[in-house]
This record gives sequence, C-alpha cells and structure tokens, in this order.
Amino acid sequence: MPDVNEARLQMNQAIEINGLQKSYGDTSVLNDFNLSVPEGNIFGLIGPNGAGKSTLIGILTGLLDYDNGKIILNGRELNEQNELIIKREVASVLQPPLLFEHFTSHDFLHYICDIYEIDPETRQLKMDSLLEYLGLTEFEHAKINKLSAGSRKKLSFCAAILSDPEILFLDEPFESIDVISIGRMKTILNRLQQKGVTIIITSHILEIVETLCDDIAILHNQKIIAYLDSETRKELQKDATLSEIFESYVQVEQPKNDVLKWL
Amino acid sequence: MLRKLIYLNWSAFLNRLTNFQTFLVVGYIIFLLILFSNLLGSALVIVLFDQNPIITDQLPWLTAEIHQLITLIFANVLWILHFSFTSTRLLNMEENRKLLAYGYPVKKLSWYLNLMGFFHPLNLIYNFTWLVFLLMQIQNLMYIPVVITVVLLNYAVIYSIKHRFLKIVEKRFKIVVFSALFLIFGTIQAIAIISRQFEQIIAHYLPSIEIINSYLFYTPGGLLQYTATGTYNLPTASAIYGFSALLIFMIFRDHFFKTREGLQKPVRERKIFKRNKRWHYLKKWLGLNAGKFYHYVFSHSYNRLQLLTIALIPAVYIPLLLQLGNSYYSALLIPTMLAAIPVALLAMGMANMFGYENKEFLLHKQFPVSFEKQLKERFLGIIVVPLLIFYLITTAEIIYLPQLGSVVEIYVANTFFFVCFTLVFLWASFYYYKKVNYSSFSFKHPIIPQKVTFMMMFLIFGLGYAVFAPLGEYQIYRLWVMGGLIIAIGIYLWRDMDLLVRAFNKHILQPVWAEAEQ
Repeated sequence: MPDVNEARLQMNQAIEINGLQKSYGDTSVLNDFNLSVPEGNIFGLIGPNGAGKSTLIGILTGLLDYDNGKIILNGRELNEQNELIIKREVASVLQPPLLFEHFTSHDFLHYICDIYEIDPETRQLKMDSLLEYLGLTEFEHAKINKLSAGSRKKLSFCAAILSDPEILFLDEPFESIDVISIGRMKTILNRLQQKGVTIIITSHILEIVETLCDDIAILHNQKIIAYLDSETRKELQKDATLSEIFESYVQVEQPKNDVLKWL
Repeated sequence: MLRKLIYLNWSAFLNRLTNFQTFLVVGYIIFLLILFSNLLGSALVIVLFDQNPIITDQLPWLTAEIHQLITLIFANVLWILHFSFTSTRLLNMEENRKLLAYGYPVKKLSWYLNLMGFFHPLNLIYNFTWLVFLLMQIQNLMYIPVVITVVLLNYAVIYSIKHRFLKIVEKRFKIVVFSALFLIFGTIQAIAIISRQFEQIIAHYLPSIEIINSYLFYTPGGLLQYTATGTYNLPTASAIYGFSALLIFMIFRDHFFKTREGLQKPVRERKIFKRNKRWHYLKKWLGLNAGKFYHYVFSHSYNRLQLLTIALIPAVYIPLLLQLGNSYYSALLIPTMLAAIPVALLAMGMANMFGYENKEFLLHKQFPVSFEKQLKERFLGIIVVPLLIFYLITTAEIIYLPQLGSVVEIYVANTFFFVCFTLVFLWASFYYYKKVNYSSFSFKHPIIPQKVTFMMMFLIFGLGYAVFAPLGEYQIYRLWVMGGLIIAIGIYLWRDMDLLVRAFNKHILQPVWAEAEQ
C-alpha cells in the first residue's frame, strides 16, 4: 500500500496535518490522522459515506474544533492567533452549500465582496463574468431560497472564487450540476491551479476526480488508507479504474450472489 | 379505499406529533368542545328566551322586534365566526399527492380529500350549530330540506370566498393588515362609546328597529335566518331548494376540479426577481451584521404579525385607559404598556438572534472577521433599535402624559424596565440554548412561543407593579434603588457581552453543523 510519499514532505506543503483527532462524544471520527497536500495541487479526497471527509473540511475551514493534533495551512498553524489570517486565505464550498437564503444572488455576492473588501470595479468585473460563465445571470436578482440545487451550488462556488483564496475546499462540488457547468467549473479550477491555488475536492463522482485531480487520498476508518500521487495512479490505473482501486482499498463486503434472485 | 386514505392521513398526522404538540392537540380538543357547547347553548338561549315567561316578565322591553334584532345579530356573528374559523388548509396536498405515484386514482383522491375537509371538527361544529339554530325556528316541515341545502351552500360559499380572500391577503398584505387594524380599533372605540351611553343610544334607535331589521335580513346571517323564518309557499321553497342544490353541485364540482388540478400540477415556487431596497437601507444604517439580522427578521411574516400585535395592543387599550381618567389602574397600566413595547421588540430580536440564519452562521464563522465582533454587532443592533423606540416613547410620555410622573421618575423607571429585560433575555439566550428544541430562544423555532409570551406578560406586569405603582413619599427611595441597579446591570452587560458568542460556540455550533451535513 503506498504511504504518504516521503519526497512530498520536502516540497512546499499547502496543508500539513499531524496526529489529528476528532470525536463526537464517544464516536471517534478522525484518529491519529496525517495528511500533507502540496501547494498548487488539485487534491481529491475520496471515501465511503461517513468516513469523515466533511468533518475534516469543517475542521480545516475553522468551523469545528478538534481534540488533538496539529494543522498547518499555508505555513501557519491553525490556532486562535492565526485564525483570521488563515480565513482570509481559505474559501470553501460545503455540502449543502452555505448561502444567505433571504438574499438575492446579487446581494449575497456583494456581501461577500464587502467582507473581503473587494473594490467596486473589481467586484463588478468578477461577479459579472462568473455569473455569465456559469449561467447564473438570469438568476442574479432571484431570491436564493427559490433557486434550484444546482444553481445554489454554482452560486456558492462563485462566492468562494470571489475572495481570491489560496486554498480552496470543495465538498461535493459537482453534485446536482449539469454537464456543461461541470465542464466550466473544471476550467475555472484548472485556471486557479495555474495561479498556484491549492484545491481540495471531496466527491463520490470518481470519474471527475480521476480526470481533474493530481493526487488522490482514500479516507476510511478514520485515517488515510491510501495516498495515490500521480505516478502511483498511472501505474495502478493501467489495469483498473479508480472505482475498482477504491473498492480494493476500502474492501467493501460483497453481497451474496443470490440476494437479488427475486428480481 | 376511503378507509385507507383516512388511516394514512391520521397516521401521518399522529406520527409527526411531538409530546408538546400532543399536549397542544388535547388543549385544542378541549377548546373545540367548549366552543361547540357555547355556540349551541347560545343558539338555544337566543331562539328560546322570549318564550320563557320569567324572562319576559323581567325584560319588559323585549318586544318581538328586539328579539328579531338579537337573533339577526347572533346569526351574523355566527356567520363571521364561521367564516373566520373555516380552515382552508385541511387538505394535505403534499403528502397525499405521493399516493398518485402508487396508483391511487386521482378522481377518487380529489373527491375524498374534499369530503375529509368537510368533516373537519370545526366545520361540523359550525354547520351543526346552523342546522340547530335554523331548524328550531322553522314554521313548516317543508322548510327542512331548504334549510339543510342552504347550510351546505353557505359552507361551500365560505370555503370558496376564503380561498380567494387568502390569496388577496398574500398579495395585499399591508392593505389588509391596516384595514384590520382600523376596523378593530374603530370597533373597540365604538363599543366603548356605546357601553357608556347604552340607554340613550338604544332609546334613540328603538323606533327604527324595524328598519334596521329589514337591512339586517340582507346580510349573510340574515339570509340564512330568512330561510327558516321567512314566509314562503311550496313552489318558492322548491325554487330555493333547487337553485341552492344546483349551486352546491357547481361549487363542489369546482372544488373537485381545483383539487384534482392541485394534485396533478403542484405549484412551482416562483423565483422572485423583485429588487428589495430594504436590505440596502438596513446595511447603510445598521451595518452588515445588524442590517442583515433585521432584513431577515422582517422577511418572516410571523414577525410582521408580532410587530403589528405590539403596536395594536397599546393603540387600542391606552386611549381606552385614558378615557377612564386619572385612576390608580391607568396610572399603573399605561406606563407598563408603554414600557413593554421596546421590551417586546427586544424579546423578538433576541428570539431571532441565532434564529433564521442558524446554518448561515457557519458561513459567517468562515469569514475573516472575528465571529465575536459579528455577533456583538448584531446584538448591539438588537438593542439599539428598541432603545430608540424606548427614548421616543419616554419622551412622548413626558410631553403628552405628564400625569404619569416627573421627567426623572419616568426616565429612571423606563430605563430600569428596559435593562432588567435585556439581562433576562441575555441569560435566557445563553442558558435556554442548552435545550435546543422548544426553548424560548431556540435556533430551530426562532419565534416566541405562546407559553413564553404568557410568562413574559406576567413578568412585564409584575415588574410594572413594582416600578410604576404610586408610592407617595417613598418614591425617592425606589428611584435610588432603581438607579443603583441600572448602573450595576449596565456594567454587567457591557462586561459580559461575549456570553452570546460563548452560547453559540458551546450550544449551537455542533447541532447546526450536524444539521447542515444532513
């Protein structure tokens, strides 16, 4: 089983997590969790339901406290002292997306720009282009709570991009989104990568993860059980799809052959 | 099939009930029984009381015309009550629509849902009261089918009118609310005037009672009354019966088709493309956080209704109390009611503190702005607006109601009232969040429940007695005590404002996160 690549530790790491522990009451979600993500990487984090992906993103975006461990984002330790500086450099799209339900898309994006102190000219340019590119212009003055699931996700994506993040966390970013918009979102992500932005994606759509991500880690049983960098993936994917590789690591119990014999 | 449908609807209803809601349902059943006995009892008494010799001896003024006037007024009041209480939201379309996916025939479903709506306890109570009230007054057996048909027609018409009326309310909320306000205020004032000069007014209108009765016969209650008491022959009765039956058939057919359409074509929620200026003004005046808070509070119709209630109660009662002159009660109740207005606004604000935006707080927490600062801005906004209202009211009291006390007395007493409740709400928002569900300041139910409203009324009037009751020469000591407590509470509030941030991080964040993940 490939482990966290030693050579990667020598590179500039956007995210370094050591010995992270998190539990909800008696239920442990992350235990002695370690992970390093290189700068400028589009990093895929995959795992079965309930593996702790969203909790990990919650912790990394400063929403959840953790019990133990050390987290370094962009060279700064995540603690009370650095919290606000890190928050300025980090953006996220959570699942379900967090939006201001009683605002219009226009007012919501302006609110985000106000928070990140983006000047009026730049914000107008960015907002107009993002809304147009992702097909949201016609909903600019629609109330957010009336938007479809896909439009909500895209709007949350726009808000995250507007703040010019250096690390971008995307939790299930392609869920409910149409094929054309997925293509456009991928283009935006590739452009951001070229600018040096580190992107962490969790998704159950392995075909997208496979084509978009550089490195992929599999999270299972509270830990990273496999770290597949691009070289390792190339090697493994000669004989198997990512989905098959994933199943082999997670070792899901196979149902009996005759379980659906009635069908 | 009908039996299965009733079983499904009952199961869906019962399974959703929490313990607290079950308790409310029991209360509702008791309310229905009381309502039924009151309505039926009133109908019996009103129809029969002129036939009792003891009553006619004691009430010599009770002529046939006056009795007719009383029955007509009762019929109209009953009609207004019937109109107000007929629920048009009896059909659980969302749940029942799912049955179509399992092959339930749409025609039967539509017909059964209408039938179930008719058999709602409230409809049964009112229709049965009408039947008893009218059948007791009939002159001939041929009136029976006419009365039954007209009662059914009345139900169908009320149902149709109310359905349309609700749509008007949704579209013209402000006009309807202000009209209602004007109507209620005018009615109460009129009742107050009539009750003061009851005998003169009755004496003045007594000669015209027959004319009044003749007008009242054309009102909805009067028309129903006429089907039982009017004089008509068999052809006329047949014509009324036939015409009413035809109308009932057409209206029910219309209901049937509307229900079928509603089942098959769920209303798509409109995307609202209206630009709302409210947010821009609020952002300008109160800032990003407090502005957003008020924008959300006013987005919810329940809060608008609460605001209306807060405005309505003093608007109705204070003029009435002022008409009573300088009594002990008006000296106590007027300042208490006025002091309660900003307190009620404060309560509304605190109940919404983490309310409508509970999940959105996760986004606020991600912003590169101290979360403590964001919450403090909101909290200050919640205090500042009621404080402004407080100063306006206090100044108006000093100018227009000097009989309530001196400038110092009014200012100190009102300030004391306000800071006491600020403290209560701050503590409540911290400690009550431990019980996240169904507490007075819950993030899941950011409206003030009735039990808390009652408790607050009790506290407001309790404190009102302590603060505003005239004490004569001891007044000065109370002023000193209140002044000292204002300073102490003020220092505490200023120093412990992070209580709200701690409340959020300690009690709210985890459930909100868990809920957001679902």
